[in-house]
Amino acid sequence: MIDWLLAGAGAGEGTLVWTTEPWIVGLAAVLAGGAWGLAALGPRSARSSVGARVLEGSLWGLALVVLVVAVAGPELVEEDGREELGKLVVLVDGSASMSVSEGGPTRAHVAAEVVARIREAHAPVDVYTFDETVRGGAPTDSLGRGTDLGVALDVVADRHLGQTLRGVVVVTDGIDRGALRRDVTAAVASETLSTDLVPALPGPVTFVQTASLEDVYDVAVDDVTTGGFAFLRTPVTVRAKIRGPAGRTVPVTLSREGRSVRSVDATLDDDGRAEVEFQVVPREVGRFVWEVSVPIEDRDAVPGNNVFPVVVRVVRERTRVLQVSGSPSYDQKFLRLFLKEDPSVDLVSFFILRTREDFRSGWGASELSLIEFPYERLFTEDLSTFDLVVLQNFNYRPYFSSGRDDLLLNIADYVRAGGALAMTGGDRSFDLGDYARTPIADVLPVELGVTGVKTDEAPFRPQLTEQGTAHPLTRLGATVDETRATWDRLPAMDGTNLNLGLTRGSAALLVHPSLQVDGEPLPVLAVREVGEGRTMALAVDASWRWSFSEAAEGRGNQAYLRFWKNALRWLVADPDDRRVVVAPSRENVLLGDEVRLTIRVRDAGYGPVEGAELVGSIEAPDGSRTPLALVTDPSGEAATSFAPTLRGAHRVEVGVGSRSADRGSTVFAVSNRDPELSEIQPDRAFLEQLATLYGDRGRYLGPDDRVELLLDTDARRRVPDRRVVVLAGAPLVAVLFGLLSGAAWMVRRRSGGV
Amino acid sequence: MQREGWSRRALLAALSAAAAVQPRRARALGAASQVDIAELEIPGASVHRPAAWKRLLFELIQTTSVEANPESVRLSPKDPRLFAHPFTVLVGDRALPALSDDGVEQLRRFVSYGGFLVFDDASGSRDGPFAQSVRALCRQLFPTRPMAPLPGDHSLYRAFFLLDRPVGRVVVSEVLEGVTLGPVTPIVYCPNDLSGALHRGEDGRDRYPVVPGGDRQRREAVKLGVNLVMYSLTSNYKHDQAHVVELMRDGKLE
Repeated sequence: MIDWLLAGAGAGEGTLVWTTEPWIVGLAAVLAGGAWGLAALGPRSARSSVGARVLEGSLWGLALVVLVVAVAGPELVEEDGREELGKLVVLVDGSASMSVSEGGPTRAHVAAEVVARIREAHAPVDVYTFDETVRGGAPTDSLGRGTDLGVALDVVADRHLGQTLRGVVVVTDGIDRGALRRDVTAAVASETLSTDLVPALPGPVTFVQTASLEDVYDVAVDDVTTGGFAFLRTPVTVRAKIRGPAGRTVPVTLSREGRSVRSVDATLDDDGRAEVEFQVVPREVGRFVWEVSVPIEDRDAVPGNNVFPVVVRVVRERTRVLQVSGSPSYDQKFLRLFLKEDPSVDLVSFFILRTREDFRSGWGASELSLIEFPYERLFTEDLSTFDLVVLQNFNYRPYFSSGRDDLLLNIADYVRAGGALAMTGGDRSFDLGDYARTPIADVLPVELGVTGVKTDEAPFRPQLTEQGTAHPLTRLGATVDETRATWDRLPAMDGTNLNLGLTRGSAALLVHPSLQVDGEPLPVLAVREVGEGRTMALAVDASWRWSFSEAAEGRGNQAYLRFWKNALRWLVADPDDRRVVVAPSRENVLLGDEVRLTIRVRDAGYGPVEGAELVGSIEAPDGSRTPLALVTDPSGEAATSFAPTLRGAHRVEVGVGSRSADRGSTVFAVSNRDPELSEIQPDRAFLEQLATLYGDRGRYLGPDDRVELLLDTDARRRVPDRRVVVLAGAPLVAVLFGLLSGAAWMVRRRSGGV
Repeated sequence: MQREGWSRRALLAALSAAAAVQPRRARALGAASQVDIAELEIPGASVHRPAAWKRLLFELIQTTSVEANPESVRLSPKDPRLFAHPFTVLVGDRALPALSDDGVEQLRRFVSYGGFLVFDDASGSRDGPFAQSVRALCRQLFPTRPMAPLPGDHSLYRAFFLLDRPVGRVVVSEVLEGVTLGPVTPIVYCPNDLSGALHRGEDGRDRYPVVPGGDRQRREAVKLGVNLVMYSLTSNYKHDQAHVVELMRDGKLE
């Protein structure tokens, strides 16, 4: 009962401490004094005797004293301690090299069994995981990207400073990547080995190795370097570092997008290393996965490091343009000047300087500096080497042999396969070039087949359409207003080729201010995406005036340059300039890193599409797919993050429809460029050296040894015991206060008080 | 018509025959798209020879695929309409007066942004007052790009015809001179009075005798004129790899 009243403090010995701030106690005392004054000196009945009043005042005073004492926070602190068996600390290697298997269970699995046996035989045991850092508990995985045994031993020494441990057990494969191994190795080499190299431990230490040298067979592609990006049609070198058993010859294969490109044999040197080089010539722009691989044998300790994927971004160093003009003209002159002066353009020009109509003039062939128009070669074998073909007022019929309409089909196929075609106006273009009902007409953004008059020669000022204000091709200013203002001030054109309107899926960026076709303004500048390629139709032959007229007014020729630069960039359709673009935060990531994917959606006029419902997936190397379902924000963008769990190429494909133009894709490679897996040979000598450095307080156990730990059985530790009793909360306080205040109240009532 | 595998000469011959029976068709979208020539007029110093340019443009139409308007216009160097005529000539036989700052600035813009300017020396003298004033004007236009002789492999000499010598009414120099900006030469100085060889009187007959080569030399002058226009349109096209290789294969270049 007494123990209850004193909240368990009745039988104990200890120190009484007051825990409340003194000013709070003082304030409580002042308030209590005030309350006592009101109670003791207040009005009383005439029947109340002096004795009763003194008794009542005393009782109230005692009750308030109890309260003030309780407010002061009295606590009874009892401190004691006891001795227990010294601790056994087990450090378990959680680095990635522990995931290696020597044909049987992994090293981590072997380590887990060792720890289980130690727990069973030597409880209590404190288990810690170490790799680059130290943390409590056994390893849950083997993903650590480093091993620092020296730090781990330091942590044990610091944490148990002043104590005596029964023992320290280190369970590892012996591959340390911290300073300790380097220092010990250097000291052995210089014969300066001393115990100062290792931290003093509060107990004997046993090093348990989980793998032996002779068990490991591993051939690996340690690293692949490409420079990160490559130029289109320019040789690029892919270098790979191969590792494996010394003297062995290993076939090394380079694959691109899953298809073997070439293979070479690499002979490993005395250190078991070799470097191979592959020369490849990228033929497409974009992001592509190249993989360097070596064969996987059954006994390979780490099959996962036999393939090394890397994403190479292929960009154009120079855009290769074929400019074919049916007649030298100012339009052709200014376009050539622009293309020739642009260092990013590799220009091949062919101008028809003389037609059959000019042959009557009587000049001898030897007087002429003319070459034959190599149209067959250009539009067959050379065609795919061009990024853009510009047919500038060019009529094919006088030059292409009869029966060679297949050349026009070649051009159309080239566009569908990803090429670009621009046709500009003139008396040899569009319907005047007899392109109606040809394969070229099938890929142009305007319908051909105009009968009767095929041109309108009245000067006019092209009008920018709504799509034109947003489209990158016609964006001549930083803002929409600036773009409109620029187009509004550009000079009039000298006339236009007529057409029958837009073809399906095309967009008109400039239109005629008055001429119409089927109730719609006549397209003057139109664009179209055809298959994987793009086409542009500019139905005028005086775009050069956008350069020269601006210059006349002292504005330079920026409008003209920007227009054609825009056209060039859009037509060659860099993957990053598609309508649906998927961009990874990085193309090559490490396992465990997160990849952020940003998807941008634009409409045919290149304005952002808000609310577009994107559907797609991320395909992992094992073929599993992670579905994607996103909705674009007002800026036409949506983003998501993905944490890959597998090494290899991951392909992202997402879009708003099934057409190629409505979908975007990208690829990123997940590798484990991890030193933990580039060196997996267990280091027995290092662990033996460590055990030796600890003298009779160190022991090394190999993978085949019985786990007989070196222990200090006399090790004891004092366990401190501290008990705190909060007296303010003891029932006695409430009882005392209740009794005293109740008694005071009764005295008051009996003496006639109210 | 089967042309595959034919030699170039055979092809040209065949096309010549075909051309004889084919009408020439309507040209260009508008007259402004056609090539013409603007004569710069400097009162008291320039010489007006519209018939020479009309003849040159006519030869151009007959000989090449260029669509030309066989007319010339006379403009002051300060006239903003200059920018509608990218091919401009200034014929003179005496020293040019100093041009106004506005005139110099406009000519500089004209040449810098794609215009082509030919100075034709009608004096018939080597390095006379006109030549010296042209050099001074060029220094004023492009102080760091002095006028210099064009090398023998310059594209202008093979822009359409293969030219051995740039002759005109006279032959006082074996070379043309010019101001080269980057890969192109937008200012050319003809020392041999090209327009004098081309000029015709109202009766349609040649206005001036050509010395020392007579009609043969006049024919060469026409070729020079055609090459000038063709070069102004195609710039260094004839230096493109494809052309050089083909011309060397044909034995037209060494």
